[in-house]
Parts: sequence; C-alpha cells; structure tokens
Amino acid sequence: MATAESIAEKPALRKPQKPFYFNTSEHLLRIGRQRASTLSELLQALQTVPDDCIFQHTFRTLQEHHFIRQGFSNDFAHWSLFACNEPALAEQFASVDIREFTAIEGLRRRMVEILDEFLQSHNMSGSRPAHEPFYFCAADIVVLPTAFCADTLKAFLDGLNQVSVHSIHHHFIEARLRLHRMSNDFSHWLEEEIGLREAADAIERIDIYANTMEGVRRQIARIVSQAMN
Amino acid sequence: MSSDDPRAVSTKPTVNTQGPPEVPRRDVDRRSPHSARRASDRGNNRPLPASVLTPPTPPPPPHLDDYGAIVGRSQLDTLRYLAKEFKGKTIKMVNSTAVGGGVAEMLNRLVPLLSELEVHTNWEVITGGNDFFEITKAFHNALHGSPYQLTQAAKDIFLMYNEQNRRRMQFGEDMVVIHDPQPAALVLSRHQTPAHWVWRCHIDLSNPNPGVWEFLRPFVAEYDAAIFSSQSFTRQLPIPQYLFYPCIDPLSEKNKELPDSQVQQICDEFGIDRSRPIVTQVSRFDRLKDPVGVVQAYKLAKKYVDCQLVLAGGGASDDPEGAVVLQEVKEAAGNDPDIIILDLPPWCAVQINAIQRASTIIVQKSLKEGFGLTVTEALWKAKPTIAGAVGGIPNQIIHKLTGVLVHSVEGCAFQIRYLLTHPEFARSIGSSGREHVKENFLMTTNVKRWLLLFRILEQAKGQLSQAA
Repeated sequence: MATAESIAEKPALRKPQKPFYFNTSEHLLRIGRQRASTLSELLQALQTVPDDCIFQHTFRTLQEHHFIRQGFSNDFAHWSLFACNEPALAEQFASVDIREFTAIEGLRRRMVEILDEFLQSHNMSGSRPAHEPFYFCAADIVVLPTAFCADTLKAFLDGLNQVSVHSIHHHFIEARLRLHRMSNDFSHWLEEEIGLREAADAIERIDIYANTMEGVRRQIARIVSQAMN
Repeated sequence: MSSDDPRAVSTKPTVNTQGPPEVPRRDVDRRSPHSARRASDRGNNRPLPASVLTPPTPPPPPHLDDYGAIVGRSQLDTLRYLAKEFKGKTIKMVNSTAVGGGVAEMLNRLVPLLSELEVHTNWEVITGGNDFFEITKAFHNALHGSPYQLTQAAKDIFLMYNEQNRRRMQFGEDMVVIHDPQPAALVLSRHQTPAHWVWRCHIDLSNPNPGVWEFLRPFVAEYDAAIFSSQSFTRQLPIPQYLFYPCIDPLSEKNKELPDSQVQQICDEFGIDRSRPIVTQVSRFDRLKDPVGVVQAYKLAKKYVDCQLVLAGGGASDDPEGAVVLQEVKEAAGNDPDIIILDLPPWCAVQINAIQRASTIIVQKSLKEGFGLTVTEALWKAKPTIAGAVGGIPNQIIHKLTGVLVHSVEGCAFQIRYLLTHPEFARSIGSSGREHVKENFLMTTNVKRWLLLFRILEQAKGQLSQAA
C-alpha cells in the first residue's frame, strides 16, 4: 500500500519505448503413450517423459484449474493424494512453486528428487497400485495476438482488465520459461519501460497458489493503479 | 428456423436418398409410446403433460457473437483469428444418428458455428438397416467391456454397410471427421483424397472386448489422428491421440437461462414439489447409467433426509434396450409417490433444463460412461453434482472441488445426505463446477479445439507457416 513517504519518493513515469503486446496462448492436449500405475512407475516416467509433458502437468494445469479457490498446485500432487492416498507426498509436490524455475529441466529434477526421497523412506508405497493410472499428456501450443496493445500505463491497465485469463497466464506464469529469468512479462515491461521497479517487484510476489487467476488479475490491476496514482 | 437461413442448410445432416431409408431405424418401436396416460395413473406412472407430446419448433441456432456475454469477447477474437487461416476450406463430419444422444446434439451446434467462421462444414449421417444398428449397438456394449462373441456374419454386415455408405459419399473436404465406431471403416476412402482423416471416439475404450477392438483397430490406425474424451479411454495406437473434452452449448434449449416462472410451471406439470429437496438423475434408461442404483441410494438416504427423486430420461434413436430398463426402474421404485419417473420424448430439452435448475442435487451414477454430458449440464447450472467415478466424469468432477465422486450405492446415498445437510459446501462446489465448465467444456472451447487441430494437421503437412 502506498504511503506518504513512498509517494514523495516515487520516480517519474517514463514513456515506454516499446509497447506491451498482450498475447495469449492456446493449447491442444495430446495424450502421451506413457502412464504410471504406481509411484515407482511415476518416478521412472518423470525421468524420461518429454519436457512438454512436465510443462503440461505443472504450468498448464494451473491454467485449466485457474478458478479453484482452495488452491490447485499440479497434477502430480493431485494424483498422489487422490489416486495413491499419499497426502505427505502430495503436500511435498504441491509445495513446488513453478515460478522458481526458468527451464523445465530444473522443475523435472525437483519433482524427481521429491519422489525419490519419499520412496526411499516409504518402501512399500512404490509398488502399491494407484486407484487410477496417471496419464502423461502434453500440450501443443499456439501463441496468438490479442486486440490489445499498450503504449501507456493507462492502456496497459485497460488491456489487463480485458484480456482473457489465458493471456494473464501466458504473460504472468509461462513467461519465465520464455524469458529464462525469474520474472514475468508484466513486471519486466513495467520495470524496463516505465521505471516502476517497486510495482514490478510487488507483482512478482503475488501468490498464484493462493489465488484464482482472476484474483491475480485484480491484484496486478490494483498494483498498477496505485502506481499510476 | 427459417428455410431462408443459410445456417439451416448447414445444420441439417445430408443423406443420400438413393441409399437406404433416410432415417434407418428398427422395424418395431419397442419403447413405451409417448402418448397421454390415464388420469388415474399415480405413483411413478404420472401422465406426461400435453405440452411435451409434440415436438416444439426448434429455435434458430445462436450466432457466434451471442456467446460473447458468456465467454468474453477475447475468446471470440481468438476463434476468429484461428479461423482466418482456413477460410475456403471445408470439413466433413460423419456420425450415426441425426437425433438423440450427445454427439448429434454437439454437431447440431458445432457445424453452424464453424460455418459462421467461414470454415464450411458438411454433416452426414450413415445409413443402415436394423441389422446394422443391432450389431453396432452390440459393438458399443462390447467396447464398454460386455461379453460378446464376434461372428464373421457381424463383421460382414458391419463392412457391408460401411462400404455401401463409402460408395455413396463424396470425400472432397479438407478434413474428414468420423465419429465413433459405426462409420469407422469409411477410412478406406482416405487414399482417394488428400484430406486429413480424424477419428473422433466418444466412448470409453479403456476395457474393450478384445475381439471387437482387434477388428476395429486396423481401421482406426489408418487415421491421421484420433480424439478421445478422456485420457483413460485411449488405446495404444500408432497415431497421435488428442483429448477433446465434449462440450455443451450454454445457449441451447437445454442449458440457457430460464425464468423462474417457467421452471415452476414445468415442475408443476410433472408434479415436482419445489418446496422440498429434489434429487435428479437425467439419463437414458440404460443399465450402464444404473437408474436402479439411484433408486436404491435415494431409499437409503431417505431414512435420514426428506427428498424427492426425479429420474428423467428417454431413449436415443439407436437404443433398443430402453423399454426393458424403464420397467426395471419402475419395479424398483414401487409405489413411492416421491419417486417421479419421466420417460420423455427426445425433444424435451427445455423441460430437462427446468428440472435440472429446480433440482437441489443432481446425480449421475453411471457404471460406464463416455463423457457424461448430463454432468456437464448440471455443473453449468451450478448444481452440486454426485457422479460415478467412471469414464470422463473424473475429468469434470474434481472430488470435493467441483462435485463429488462416488463408487457405490452406499456412497451415493451418503453424499445425498451430506449435500442436503451442508448447503454452503454444496453451493461452493456448485459454483466451482460452473467455472470448470466455462473453462473447459463449452461449445466455444470445442470450436477452438477443432481449429487448433486443423492448424496442427495442416502444419504437419507443411501447408501452413509455423509462425503464429
């Protein structure tokens, strides 16, 4: 929240040299050949499935379930709980914040580490059949432009409020894989083009796991509005 | 729909009149006639109101812009952008029935929407005699796991009618989509055309009769891609397999918003008391939907909570078993005045809509299921939904988040009791269920998937640039 002190110290807003193009990504789900019926099989598959499978079950699944208020983490956590009845493992999988990773390989390693450590201390869990198999899927992605392009902060706010949640997900969550840095498109533009570093940092700290994607949109819009005022 | 409306032409399936009868059906309709019953009928034999005895005039299908208020302008912009690349290209959709069942209902909307996006789509229905549809019904049950002895005679009949249809149809479109096993062998025409051939399977193939699947598999393997409604439905195939969730049309008669006065009027016509809790299952009278199990669950729950049970169903035009199952359900219900069994004609979409909206809880206790569009309809209406954890239902119902999944009569009974006594939780899962449908199971999303698939297949053939 803006204070009198922070208002007094606020830097002048720059006119952006590059506009912000709101894009969106659309996905077609392809069902893979691999499936896991036990946690041991899941461990093996996690090490060998293509990157786009890991992406689907971590990044993409958040978009599919963006509206769930109770928090939805990733498909591995969900399966561990509901199909394998392993709540401890589910919590560990759920604790993984995908925004800590700028490449799929790092995320894959983290998931493998979690499961490997769990199975080492829970010998019987690895071979116990799951209630339902885990089907590895992948997303065929198409990136599309939208009608919104912002060359001012006001236009940015307008676009932000009108684009779909898919666009929000594309720029806020998937962006770090594209940028290969711990940031998102919104924060990157606000800092680089407008000079709003504090707002950029505040946006980056939004907790995606404790919010719906509409909630994320509202928080970003509130931060940007405060910066404008 | 006006005959001048060009969309009316593309909506109706075209059938070659030189072949077998236009609507090939059984010689004898063994289902109960949809005629007015005696006024003295009581219990679960309530007479149908006169308003449902004749088909209503179908309203014109909505325009694409009509969906803007529901899905947002940005989604429609996406569809238009994707479709731009395919203007002038054509698609053919082929299935086995023009009326009844989820596939026909879906095509009735999909076809005009694609055409409105200037991706002209032709819809054809295969023709066949009673022998063909008896065999394909047996195939349907066998592919769901029922025991079945596949004979050479059955294979010959299947192939004969497929060949007959193959010879009368033209396949000049850019993409040909064959729905379900009945017309699967039409793919034998693929080498005569440059089209992409896609097999859209709407049924659960997770545990098929080996003989029937091994007979059909070589045909399926000839397609460029296959589409299934759930990951669990797939088989090992040498072709890419995509996941298309089935969808509902939020603007259809079955799903559109209804004024409360209309809901009340329809409930009054069927003797449904809205002042008391209503538990409803909407499904064909088919053993795989376990309507007798629902009656049993209701009776168990009724020991603890007051409620009425509504079983609203009918028969798809290709389902010969309905009358037998209906009788089984009536016997299970006995003379309980709070069990309302409605054997409705296939045109009662508004009535189904109203009954769903009036319901406190909706049940879909299927034992086997394709996808379960009645679940989607219930979720769209923000109704707390209890469903069997089978087929595509777990894709729709995330347990305790968008609905509740059950595995037994006892489980269903408990969830009825729980939801009726915990209205806040029921409201919460109902609300999340609606959002889940909005994100994943609406017609506009279905249109988008077809355009994305078309794009991917064209790119694979090198006929589109890779850049977005």
